[in-house]
Amino acid sequence: MKLVIGGYAQGKLEFVQREDPARGGIVLDGKLCGIHELRGETVIVDHLHVWVRECLAGGGCPEEEIAAFVEGHPDCILISDEIGNGIVPVDPFEREYRERTGRILVELAGQAEEVVRVICGIGQKIK
Amino acid sequence: MMVLVVGGSGSGKSAYAEQCLARLSAGRKKYYLATMQVFDREGREKVERHRKLRAGKGFLTIEQPASICRALEKMEAGSAALLECMSNLTANEMFSEDPPRHWEAVTDQIVRETGLLNRGLESLVIVTNNVFEDGILYDDTTMEYRKALGSVNERLAAMADRVVEVVVGIPLIVKERN
Repeated sequence: MKLVIGGYAQGKLEFVQREDPARGGIVLDGKLCGIHELRGETVIVDHLHVWVRECLAGGGCPEEEIAAFVEGHPDCILISDEIGNGIVPVDPFEREYRERTGRILVELAGQAEEVVRVICGIGQKIK
Repeated sequence: MMVLVVGGSGSGKSAYAEQCLARLSAGRKKYYLATMQVFDREGREKVERHRKLRAGKGFLTIEQPASICRALEKMEAGSAALLECMSNLTANEMFSEDPPRHWEAVTDQIVRETGLLNRGLESLVIVTNNVFEDGILYDDTTMEYRKALGSVNERLAAMADRVVEVVVGIPLIVKERN
């Protein structure tokens, strides 16, 4: 698994697609697929943070669902915005979303073979 | 040795700062300077989570929500301390009065007191927050607070021997004094 993070509109998906055009891959935008779906394909999940938000809003447990997804798709590429670098939100749900997303990314980064941080369309390999 | 650790919410900066202090504190007393004031259940849960993270690691906790250099009175000279965190300390100092104190006065006080604290210790690891990149224009008071913390971070970074940004749990060295 590979994790790509960075701020809003930094060209993360383009970076992933540019880096390895031969590999292709199926892009899921803000969603995951079933554990048995798309086996053997390179699955790119874009806007993972949006999926986390929707999962939390629906009362789900994003940590468990992501762990299951990664187990079923060990070669996936996960792309997420970094959302924790701001003022603590007043709204409790916003705070929860921000903190849970941060911890999920820490966990994923720990497991990932590679972590890339993209800024201005340029990727820096940080792991 | 002074280390400044900066990161966003849920970035893993606390866990890293602890490891960092453990490496620097070999054989010395280790203190945890807690700056957060608890007002509600969420605050209690946060404190509890951090306590669990520190459990069994030999930290002595000192609650010091303001006037940070006064923590020196409660510590053995030449010890090691982890100060967590500047964003709370700055808020506590700034909003201790109504209307809030001017950001420059707050910054000057915090930088001066942290300097004193550092001189009384063998190692000091400071956790601070990146609250600067959400692109939102807040009310004047929040913008002043951001200015204060930004300025505190900048001046502490100038003072520090090492500055580390923690991103998704990964430490990135921003400054290292040779």
